[in-house]
Amino acid sequence: MAAPSMKERQVCWGARDDYWQCLEENAEDASRCQQLRKSFESSCPQQWIKYFDKRRDYLKFKEKFEAGQFQPSKSPANA
Amino acid sequence: MLLLARGPNAWPRLSQLKPQIFPRPLGSEILHQRALHSSGKGPAETGRQGLHGGPRLRTRLLITALFGAGLGGAWLAARAEKERQRQQRRAEALRQAAVGQGDFSLLDHHGQIRCKADFRGQWVLMYFGFTHCPDICPDELEKLVQVVQQLEAHPGPHPVQPIFITVDPARDDTAAMARYVRDFHPRLLGLTGSAEQVAQVSRSYRVYYSAGPKDADQDYIVDHSIAIYLLSPDGLFTDYYGRGRSAEQIVGSVRQHMAAFQSVLS
Repeated sequence: MAAPSMKERQVCWGARDDYWQCLEENAEDASRCQQLRKSFESSCPQQWIKYFDKRRDYLKFKEKFEAGQFQPSKSPANA
Repeated sequence: MLLLARGPNAWPRLSQLKPQIFPRPLGSEILHQRALHSSGKGPAETGRQGLHGGPRLRTRLLITALFGAGLGGAWLAARAEKERQRQQRRAEALRQAAVGQGDFSLLDHHGQIRCKADFRGQWVLMYFGFTHCPDICPDELEKLVQVVQQLEAHPGPHPVQPIFITVDPARDDTAAMARYVRDFHPRLLGLTGSAEQVAQVSRSYRVYYSAGPKDADQDYIVDHSIAIYLLSPDGLFTDYYGRGRSAEQIVGSVRQHMAAFQSVLS
């Protein structure tokens, strides 16, 4: 399977950004972004979808962490 | 006399340090006596040396000074020689590293065999990645191209060669590399090779890579370290730039290296 061309990459990234934007605007409620999710999935290789989903989780965590809002869960052993 | 007027303390030190500068006749002994008298030594000692030991003391001081200067000179010469040898050894080590270290044998995207020596005389900007890379590799290659374009706007004596080396040789053959690199820059050279050749070049630049699990389409992501490497026109590893560095920062750093560059290969 050939790697996506630059054009295909840009289409995929555009669909990803639209979907992420929708999640942002709807407080992470994926059910309200189903149309954009479909378009995202049809524009990118399956492997990339998995990767971008994880990447968004990571970026969200990083954002929270850098804003100082991250609370590490307390270890049950110490509780 | 001005020197005498400067008080008793200035004299003894002067006369001890540089006895040879006093002309022998012209009353130097009187000056000397005064100096010794006022130097605060015991009256008996001073009197004897001052009256009769003047020339002898001067000779002894002169010999000591000459001897000292000789020793100092020898030490300086030895130090200079040691430094010269150290630099020679360093230049030799650099020459060997320039030729041997980080050498590779890979195929470019036209199918030609390329090794490090082929890029001698050029600044090489090198990035490791793979063509199925979702976002980071294209971003970094875009940045690499911006760097090259900014550097080319004010070209120096040595041209800049951008290189992309795959860490996914199983999928990235020369045709795949050719398709990929042409989207970025007309002179971006894609390099690939056998699994062993790629492992070897990655090891020598301390690049880690590991292919992830395959999905139903046999597609997979390769996790790998992200850095742009700078090689000097001698082929020596000179610097590297991580993801956090902007194109402008890299251009600034490369220009500094260019300005400081002196070839160790003659």
